[in-house]
Amino acid sequence: MHEITSQPLDLADYRQVRRVQGWPAINEQYQAYLRDESKLTSETCDYLFFPQNEAELAAVVREMASQGVPLTVAGARTGLVGGSVPLRGGLVSLERLNAVEALYYASYAREWRVRAGCAVTLSDLNQMAMSKRFPDLERAGDQAVLAELARYQAEPGDFFYPPDPTEMSAFLGGTVATNASGARTYRYGATRDWVRGLRVILANGELLDIPRGKYFASSNGRFTIFDSQSQGRQVLVPDYSMPRTKNTSGFYAAPHMDLVDLFIGSEGMLGIITTVDVALCPRTPKCSLVQFTGSDEQALDLVESLRGQDGLQLDFLEFYSQKAIELLRRRQAEEPVAMGMPPIPEDAGAAVFFELSFDPLAVDQDFSLLAQAVERVGLSLQNSWAGYEMRELARFKTFRHMLPETVNHLISERKRQYPGLHKLGTDLAVPDDKLRPMWKVYQEALDQAGLEWLAFGHVGNNHVHINLIPRDMEDMQRGLELYGRFAAQAVAFGGTVSAEHGIGKIKAKFLKEMFTEPQIAQMKAVKRALDPQGLLNPGNIFLS
Amino acid sequence: MNIVVCVKQVPEISEVKVNPETGTLVREGVASILNPFCEYALDHALRIKQATPDVNITAISMGPPQARAALLRALELGADRGVLVSDRRFAGADTWATALTLAAAVRAVREDFDLILVGKQAIDGDTAQVGPEMAEILGIPQIMYGVRMELTPNGKRLRVKRESENGYQVLEARLPVLVSASKGEAIRRLPSFADILAARQKPLEMITADALNLSEEQLGLQGSYTQVVKIFPPQAKKACRKLEGLSPDQAGREITSFLSQENFI
Amino acid sequence: MLKIDDQKCNACGLCEKTCPFGAIAVDEGLARSDENCTLCGACVNVCPQGAMAIERKQASPEELAQYEGVYVWAECDLNDGKLSPKRVVYELLSQGRLLADKLGQELVAVALGDGRLAGLESLCEYGADRVLRCEHELLGAYSTDGFTNVLSAVIAGNKPSVLLYGATPNGRDLAPRIAARLRLGLTADCTGLNIDEQGQLVQTRPAFGGNIMASIIAPYSRPQTATVRPNVFTAAGPDPLRPKVVVDVAVTLNKAAVRTKVVEETVLGGGEGESLESATVIVAAGLGCRQGGGLALAGELAKVLGGVLAASRPMVEAGLMPVTRQVGQSGTTVGPELYIAVGVSGAIQHLVGMSSAKTVVAINKDPEAPIFKVADLGIVGDAQEIIPKLIEDIQRQQADA
Repeated sequence: MHEITSQPLDLADYRQVRRVQGWPAINEQYQAYLRDESKLTSETCDYLFFPQNEAELAAVVREMASQGVPLTVAGARTGLVGGSVPLRGGLVSLERLNAVEALYYASYAREWRVRAGCAVTLSDLNQMAMSKRFPDLERAGDQAVLAELARYQAEPGDFFYPPDPTEMSAFLGGTVATNASGARTYRYGATRDWVRGLRVILANGELLDIPRGKYFASSNGRFTIFDSQSQGRQVLVPDYSMPRTKNTSGFYAAPHMDLVDLFIGSEGMLGIITTVDVALCPRTPKCSLVQFTGSDEQALDLVESLRGQDGLQLDFLEFYSQKAIELLRRRQAEEPVAMGMPPIPEDAGAAVFFELSFDPLAVDQDFSLLAQAVERVGLSLQNSWAGYEMRELARFKTFRHMLPETVNHLISERKRQYPGLHKLGTDLAVPDDKLRPMWKVYQEALDQAGLEWLAFGHVGNNHVHINLIPRDMEDMQRGLELYGRFAAQAVAFGGTVSAEHGIGKIKAKFLKEMFTEPQIAQMKAVKRALDPQGLLNPGNIFLS
Repeated sequence: MNIVVCVKQVPEISEVKVNPETGTLVREGVASILNPFCEYALDHALRIKQATPDVNITAISMGPPQARAALLRALELGADRGVLVSDRRFAGADTWATALTLAAAVRAVREDFDLILVGKQAIDGDTAQVGPEMAEILGIPQIMYGVRMELTPNGKRLRVKRESENGYQVLEARLPVLVSASKGEAIRRLPSFADILAARQKPLEMITADALNLSEEQLGLQGSYTQVVKIFPPQAKKACRKLEGLSPDQAGREITSFLSQENFI
Repeated sequence: MLKIDDQKCNACGLCEKTCPFGAIAVDEGLARSDENCTLCGACVNVCPQGAMAIERKQASPEELAQYEGVYVWAECDLNDGKLSPKRVVYELLSQGRLLADKLGQELVAVALGDGRLAGLESLCEYGADRVLRCEHELLGAYSTDGFTNVLSAVIAGNKPSVLLYGATPNGRDLAPRIAARLRLGLTADCTGLNIDEQGQLVQTRPAFGGNIMASIIAPYSRPQTATVRPNVFTAAGPDPLRPKVVVDVAVTLNKAAVRTKVVEETVLGGGEGESLESATVIVAAGLGCRQGGGLALAGELAKVLGGVLAASRPMVEAGLMPVTRQVGQSGTTVGPELYIAVGVSGAIQHLVGMSSAKTVVAINKDPEAPIFKVADLGIVGDAQEIIPKLIEDIQRQQADA
């Protein structure tokens, strides 16, 4: 079925919606709402709304539409590309739509699912899933709900929600709007793979309820969306194909695609996601492992060896380049305790961090495949750090955070001398066979330019973050030039300019690296069909 | 040289929550871990082993069968042998009965010990009593809150840097001696994955009360001098006046007026 | 052993719900306990059927009746060349006085030291009926062996019914050693002491990081001994009219009995006057102060209020503050009049260390931070923005006054 009809919502009184009005009040007291983690900051915003349910949100959307005022949508504001930063008009914060609505077993799919308001955070969702306590559902006290919860609690194993974009205070809705991914995408895929349904408020203030697996594009690539007055609008699915890498640039498009997928990763351009159904995944006990290698080359050897080893299932594969290890070593020398880890071995030249299933109490687990994959490239498991208890896993997580934190620290110190200076981080991913060629491009260009840089990140997905740490404004300029060159190279290798951070406002200028003018025009047509006045999130994805 | 490290399995306290209605502990999903202070004790043993030839480290724990996991952790970190002293007859043991049982276990499995290391305290009970009580039962000197230790050149004495109330002290005692370990500068060790696999091949025995030279009356609750008669939740404080959304100016004024109202200014 | 009478048990499940250790399960209509049972007795008290019982051995009342008197170890510190009693001793004497009066017995302070012992008469002003002075040249500085030998001899000879120590580092070193020597029950780190109807000492202490309180008795060993957390009891004012009785006790101690030797001694920071334990105003800096000069701001606030700067564990672990400034379970227990927590989230281990503070103000960005549960006034906000304003305001007020 490619036809769907949106529903009007019960009328809520626009005047009753909690709000702050006027730039002076917002600018003085609600600074935090005017920026996200990209540090892009709004310079004008006339309204800040805090709707408490879908009806209030719809009332805000209708009222703003009637006034012709554009609306930017904010979640937890943890994004890195300024997506939630308003350029003009109003800002609506969805933070009050934070109730868990249901927990249910989908017997046909044999999986447990949660239906949650868009403002439930990933850490709360995981906390609830793992502890099997859902305070919202318990409070509601509905017998059928409690019975289903009891059934979930009686399940022998543990469950979790796999997408882990590092910043676990992100809202579920925000992660869907940006198709967030993270380290575990290597094994579990991105957010898209775990979404089972959405409720979306459209620019006309009506609601679309879209379960996955019900509405597919017609064979000529169309969706028809009727409103409650039977007015139909045609959405033509763009005909470009998506890169063979993880990707968050531009609208998703594929033949016979599911309508849910059009909204996932659309960065709020097509509608406002209010409720999300996601699947939970059974959780097996894990062991975290940092395997030290002699050099960057050897680390990449290890990645390919681990990735190529049949029968070895790793949760993620993360890279620490030689320069990253050196930086951590210097930090550790200054603050030995802060890192919470024993000294990094003196002979460590680089490292690969990964996680595998490990049952501490099982007697006959066989890790010979792992040993083989490691020894094949001339390394030994003796030269590793490993831990499986919850507190140890948390320790490795802290260690992982330590690198970006240290880089940011270094940057902020240099910023004192050069206020215009900032970190330059890449978010490029390429297909498997281009991991080494891309690495070579990075290494040669950066070393030739004499820049200070390091690399870390999701090497399992060939998605290595290059961080340039400029020493002065000249470095900045050279870095920016190289960034453009790397982006073009990644696309030429069949990759993407934005593997996980999204396009937002900061990277809108790179969209043309990946898409041709006609392709961008197709995307804009989709936007126009669903939001003819261009009221939702102006400035995201497309250069205005 | 033989070192005995006494270790305890404890709940991860930071995860323990109290059910506000019943006032009892919610332990569902709370992980059991090797008491961190015991890890520091083990760390010292391993340092001595690194600096001295022929050191053998035995980790002993008294606890239910699942405390095996704590000993496994000790083996992963580098202990040579694990001994679990486990028996339902130990239930209800206070610090005295625990110390008596552990001392008997030390005598049973490593009578020729030179050094006993314990953690400063366990993070669940926080009594810090079992170590000194063991030392008294075994008739050896004790040095508490050690943060660094080394053998003297002739290997007969141990020199320990310890935390004192207002600084540090270096004490020396002839072996055998019992030392409790404080955190100091220690960072918990991390085993390699190879160590984790190797630990599963190391000896880990379990012994019961029958292996100890003690009478029934000396075990568990019967052998204890103290008894818990009541468990209850701590008194809740009166509700906090919590102010949100103030500007820094407003917040400063609120605090100042509160402080002057309470006569602190 | 926990005995469950299957005839009486009606599987109501109350015991299962009550058990703090998750050691009871009602299975096939009967309650059963497992190896996690610590015989704490929570289920016995709650069972409506009276089906649970714990067998305990009985002590003879005649034996116990021979022990009389409440004794307090008067730990002394070296101040200006004199060994004088620590603050916690006066707190213990105030509480000990109440216990002794309830029992109708005398209150005795026992001080160990060398010729520099001083100010012992003041112990009588604070409630002691008698002071036993144990003077010996080997007792000038604390040693486990020296103090154990002397104090256990005094206790064995005098047979008191109660013996209290401050839960100071030395108190917690000494008490278990003596308990083991004399075969005594000992309760660590008490925060409550009372006498029940049978004349037994009921000792209350926090467990599980302060999540739960336990009341403990020692029914068949005397004296009943406890270490008591400093700053929990308040020292009552001195009564200069009370008779001052200081009795010298003959001490025999030979050098060989002390098996540890002090090789080196380093004293950090000031004396007790500046210590966290005795501070009346404390400003505690947490992780929220880690960056951007937050620590310096907290320090300035402490200065303005005439208080002392302390820190939470993560700050100490990050190497930003010395361990001697750490408040909490693995640090120092404090009991100031005013405690201002700046960017401290309030992990339970921290709360345990400051739960005796009389007035608490908390500033934290996270509205759900546990520190607000124990605060009198809580401000949700960025401490780094608020403190400069606060300091200005306070200074203005102070200037006006």
